[in-house]
Amino acid sequence: MSDEVVLCYSEETGLAEELVRLARAAAPSDGSRVRAVVLPGAPADAADRLVAAGAHGIDAVTGAASPDPAATSDGLRAVVVATAPTLVLIGSTKRGREVTGRLAGALDLPAATGVTALRLDPDGIRVDREALSGNAVAVERIVRRPAVVAVMAGSGAPTATAVTSVDRRTHPVAAFEAKTERSEVRPKAGGQLEIEKADRIVTIGRGLKKKEDLAIIEALAKALSAEVGCTRPLAAESGWLSDDHWIGLTGHRVRPKLYVAIGVSGAVQHLVGMRSSKVVVAVNKDPNAPIFAQADYRITGDLYQVVPALVKAFA
Amino acid sequence: MAEKLRIWVAVKHGVDVNLARADRATGLVKLDSAPRRTSDFDKNAVEEAVRLRDKRPGAVVTAISVGGPAAREALRDAVAIGADEAVLVTAPNFAEWDTRAVARLLAAASRALGGFDLFVLGEGSTDHFAGLVGPRLAGELGCADIAYVRRLTVEADGVVAEKDLEKEVETVRARFPVVLTVGQEINTPRLPTFMSNLKASKKEVRVVSPADLSVAAEALAPVVVTERVAVPEVPRKQVTISGASPDELAARLKDALRAEGVLP
Repeated sequence: MSDEVVLCYSEETGLAEELVRLARAAAPSDGSRVRAVVLPGAPADAADRLVAAGAHGIDAVTGAASPDPAATSDGLRAVVVATAPTLVLIGSTKRGREVTGRLAGALDLPAATGVTALRLDPDGIRVDREALSGNAVAVERIVRRPAVVAVMAGSGAPTATAVTSVDRRTHPVAAFEAKTERSEVRPKAGGQLEIEKADRIVTIGRGLKKKEDLAIIEALAKALSAEVGCTRPLAAESGWLSDDHWIGLTGHRVRPKLYVAIGVSGAVQHLVGMRSSKVVVAVNKDPNAPIFAQADYRITGDLYQVVPALVKAFA
Repeated sequence: MAEKLRIWVAVKHGVDVNLARADRATGLVKLDSAPRRTSDFDKNAVEEAVRLRDKRPGAVVTAISVGGPAAREALRDAVAIGADEAVLVTAPNFAEWDTRAVARLLAAASRALGGFDLFVLGEGSTDHFAGLVGPRLAGELGCADIAYVRRLTVEADGVVAEKDLEKEVETVRARFPVVLTVGQEINTPRLPTFMSNLKASKKEVRVVSPADLSVAAEALAPVVVTERVAVPEVPRKQVTISGASPDELAARLKDALRAEGVLP
């Protein structure tokens, strides 16, 4: 197999470290090189952290810092032109996916996003990614190198591979052209909860009749030492809970030990967010609710009768 | 900016995620035979385009779809919501077009058919959800792009948009021409009426081929090929807990979860 030059970038340094480890594990070891891009505005310790993660080279772009996707893409393009990579890995955050498309469009390169696994085969780069709103896994073969591939957090190899010497290069980008201008950044309301880290989650869906009734769900969560999750309507439509509770395709993906779905019908866009949970309990009054097909323990009944009993039992 | 705002909106006729079925033995999803419909977020894109047009006298909304003959259905949906013009880019080998080919065709069509001030797309399709076509289009054209827009205001020479990221919302300004992608939080698409459906069914669709847009067939050759789509097997026990009273149900569930070792 021929040697690879893999370029790694994410605006989240932790995710960039994962990309470096993943690239080191995926590329043939002898002649391949893994390089990491540091753009203007990155944390001061970013380069050191990426070297510690196993990068053979650091490509530092200098110029004006901007969150604009066109400017980010221009910075990456300068490095791509200078280093001629066979593969560009980008962290598959919202910004990362946007930049992936932008860079691939500007350089006419193949691209894939939302990637969870990667194989560098002689006949192409094979990636696993979610399809059908997260309910299926697609295997895509990218037939041409270089390619731009956006990789999800949590897909990286766990251990760093040491490097003996580091090739550091600087790429001044004179005409960093931001095409958009940011006037305000507002943290999302209540965005403190990191529901991905919860061991147990009690999720409430549209079965809840009014906001005040959240009290019984919170009581059950407390009894189980769980966090409260919700489906899209409760976050995006009624706003009864903030976005950091929202589990699903455009919300958060979780894999707790215990997932209790209360009054959740089980739309495909929700199921993708909880499918990897270890044990799933579903309470719903509709015996045909799709959530039951994804449940280990099923209770058919009115949540307003079942939940208070659960609170008592688990208290 | 032209004095009459030119708004383009792209619509995809994609696999109906709720109706696609996997083969029981192999877990493989049969995409070729799966029912299709207009991708969810694309309806939000059309709705937003139509609302902007209604605030700007003389503005025109052009809906465009890249695909096979059945993509006319997505264009019908767009016109029923309120799009003024409908364009279908098609060729016999449309099924092999990947996101790169689609973005290239959208870029070529916009160049050939008079350009745009705003190009609105869904931020991802319901079936593929790569989120690539909008940013690719902007990258190819070298114009501004703002993805994940949740609120949009049009000014004299550009837009102000709220961009939704994981932990924050940014307010971003861009001058025309600009590519925007939207999600379902931005609006609620109107339900077509009998009359709007009737109008949509009579609307003439302008059909163009890649050659009409001066795009060579080789420029559309697939660079990403989907080899298989499978539904991952997550076995669930599917135990029904029943009991004479809610308390009895709760006690039985507690026993089961204790045995699983998932209680605190």
